[in-house]
Amino acid sequence: MRRRQLIALVRKDLRLELRTRETIVAMVLFAIVMMVILQFGFGTRDDDLTRFVGGLMWVTLAFTAVLGVGRSYVAEREQRVLDGLLVAPVPRMVMLAAKAIAILIYMVAVEVVVIPLVGIFFVQGPYWGAIGWIAITALLADICIALAGTLFSGLALFTRARDLILPVLFLPALVPVVIAAAGATHAVAGGPHDMSEWRGYCLFLLGYAILFALVSIATYDAVFDD
Amino acid sequence: MTPSLTTDGPVRLRGERAAIIWGTIATVLVVVSTIGVFLVAPEDADQGIIQRIFYFHVAIAIASLVAYGVACVAGILYLRTRDRRWDDACEASIRIGLLFSVLVVITGSIWAKASWGTWWVWTDPRLVTYLIVVLIYVAYFVLRSSAEDDRKMRYSAIYAIAGFASVPLSFYSVRVAESFVHPVVFTGGGANMPTSMLTWFIMAQAAMVALFIALLEVDLLGRRSERALHMLTIRLERG
Repeated sequence: MRRRQLIALVRKDLRLELRTRETIVAMVLFAIVMMVILQFGFGTRDDDLTRFVGGLMWVTLAFTAVLGVGRSYVAEREQRVLDGLLVAPVPRMVMLAAKAIAILIYMVAVEVVVIPLVGIFFVQGPYWGAIGWIAITALLADICIALAGTLFSGLALFTRARDLILPVLFLPALVPVVIAAAGATHAVAGGPHDMSEWRGYCLFLLGYAILFALVSIATYDAVFDD
Repeated sequence: MTPSLTTDGPVRLRGERAAIIWGTIATVLVVVSTIGVFLVAPEDADQGIIQRIFYFHVAIAIASLVAYGVACVAGILYLRTRDRRWDDACEASIRIGLLFSVLVVITGSIWAKASWGTWWVWTDPRLVTYLIVVLIYVAYFVLRSSAEDDRKMRYSAIYAIAGFASVPLSFYSVRVAESFVHPVVFTGGGANMPTSMLTWFIMAQAAMVALFIALLEVDLLGRRSERALHMLTIRLERG
């Protein structure tokens, strides 16, 4: 029963996205513009940004995530979908999981474009050999982003100036994720190729994901307790 | 609790005595530990006088974590009971914890200047992550100011719980990144200092925790007074 509800809610988000193509396209464009700005922002005009690969990728993806997470509840709020969901016999936990999965899928869709672009445009180092490790890092970081993003976007949903509140709440919580994901990416693609460092950062991301999953499970009922 | 209008003597509020007791304990402990830290504790052979800031730097850091822990527990209790007194305790604890955290960053920065010659060291993850903890808890007040009534208290409680979840991440980050600069006072093997220093460190720690409790009691007393005054005004206006 719950699995069917979960699948239905995730399909609802994805179908809406496939019809409008608003969020993912905007996120990809934003990420590309962001990377170009960062390239010039570094002030080096260098063809090889291998040393900065972790930072370049994860600063871009963190801000892109804020954009995506901010859009994730638009239909629920503007089309009053949330009213329908709240009166339907759907456990809050299923709503949380469905929204987290939708955000995770958005992030993976963006990274399918962004991660190869980083390798093509900015990095001359051993990037492609490490693409598998980068993908695992990205998936772990995406789970962290999806869980924290779902909780914080739920909190920001009915506040005044919610578009401003979400980044203020979400970005500080994302900093440890950016530190770990950028560190892990740098460890495998930034020159040193230190697998023990990569493992340490990935375990940190896993710990973050578990912690935020527990916090979300414990508190999400109260977010929509109106 | 609302005070009675029929009393002839001064109106007394619940928690007044606790505020006085904790205020006294905190004052004594702060004075004694300050004298002990600066005049009695031995000077560190390597770092000299600047090491003395660590007695307060670490003690305030731990006291701020206690404050965030209390806020988290108060947040959980608010969500369970919906009693606004827990919301008061949650907000007051975070306010004091934030004040302590800012002091941690400032004292850490002073130590960095004396030890490393620079006010800020980005390669030290613990100091940096402490800054993130400050940013997380500043956002608590932004969230609080942009929601109303029940939602304000509910969202604040949830955020206090989520914010506290970030605190162990702050601690763990130092182990992940393997910082080589930040001295680790407490390790798995125990305290990394001699007994003569540890005594004064414990005293400074007790002083900071007592100071937190005293400030919390005073803050909560202020809120109770405001509410009691509000209730009295309403009753007087009704005649």
